[in-house]
Amino acid sequence: MAVDLTVRERILEAGFACVARYGLAKTTVEDVARASRLSRATLYRYFPGGRDQLLRDVIAWETGRFFGRLAEAVAGAPDFPSLLEEALLFAHRAVEEHEVLQKVLQTEPERLLPQLTVESERVLVFIRRFLVPYLEREELRPGVEPEEAADYVARMLLSFIGNQGRWDLSDPAQVAELVRTELLAGVLSDR
Amino acid sequence: MTLVGPDRVGTQEQRVIDAALRCVARWGIGKTTLDDVAREASCSRATIYRLFPGGKDALLEAITRTELNRFFSGLAQRFDEAHDLEDMLVGGIVYASRALAGHEALQFVLAYEPEVVLPKVAFHHADRVLTAIAGFAAPYLAPHVGADEASRVAEWVARLVLTYTLAPADNVDIGDEESARRLVRTFVLPGLVTSAVP
Repeated sequence: MAVDLTVRERILEAGFACVARYGLAKTTVEDVARASRLSRATLYRYFPGGRDQLLRDVIAWETGRFFGRLAEAVAGAPDFPSLLEEALLFAHRAVEEHEVLQKVLQTEPERLLPQLTVESERVLVFIRRFLVPYLEREELRPGVEPEEAADYVARMLLSFIGNQGRWDLSDPAQVAELVRTELLAGVLSDR
Repeated sequence: MTLVGPDRVGTQEQRVIDAALRCVARWGIGKTTLDDVAREASCSRATIYRLFPGGKDALLEAITRTELNRFFSGLAQRFDEAHDLEDMLVGGIVYASRALAGHEALQFVLAYEPEVVLPKVAFHHADRVLTAIAGFAAPYLAPHVGADEASRVAEWVARLVLTYTLAPADNVDIGDEESARRLVRTFVLPGLVTSAVP
């Protein structure tokens, strides 16, 4: 069966709009069909698992878009520490300002969080792949490999994007301090 | 509310709690009934209601409190045994990782009923967990790194335990002492302000 990516994209986009309007619990395949101006049969052809698969894929799709935007936003940073600082500042703000995410976190976290936790493995792979080329250009501390450092830094980034804890990630000075110590002190050579 | 803690080990309350934990490990929170717990604990439903007025919710609350107490007293013991900062961090990470991985009831719930536990501890509510762990561990770390640095380090290490527990890595196993030590030596110790050591 040929899968038309633009149709798939259209369904996901409509699904996201429905989640924004009705939430995860109340969005139906019917709603998404109407919003995408496609038939229910077409939706089931692209998402044979029905509602559950569709919603899972909408969450994965938006998570992917979020980190795509993040990668784009920081790609021009002058050096690696600045790249991480910009990433934390951008992502922290983007999470706070993501209306759909905030609404669903408030009203139906029990539906979203298991999915986000599953997604986090895929997101880690994405961030790691993004970071490796940068780390390969840096001088690392003796014994530290780019792959291993990328995994560590990706985990820390994701942890801080999810929750800032005792830090204020809207403050560039604090973010710089955080990157210098907890993210990179063990990674980059002092020289 | 009855205080249920390590000092009550062996009491009837503790027997009921242990029975309930075995039930949750087998069937999950949703499907465990007070009848199941009563049968498992060889007592009557009436006894459970007497011990935990409020029924299942009160019992679940007591379980959470007891298990947290158990976790933290085990962690305290590991900290007390440590000779230096590195041992303390490594010991704490290994202990926490094994306690979480080896907790059958918790693992069942994470696998089959994540919607029950994650909203309490993940994402925007992760700071509850981070604050609790950091608050507990900081006084133990303070003699090594100073008070300010201690709560920073404790939160940092708590993040490591959470990430490697919720998204296991291919090449790092924080339940393994050697692997955890490499993680601490490589990424954590260089980021400490050691000048704060008195």
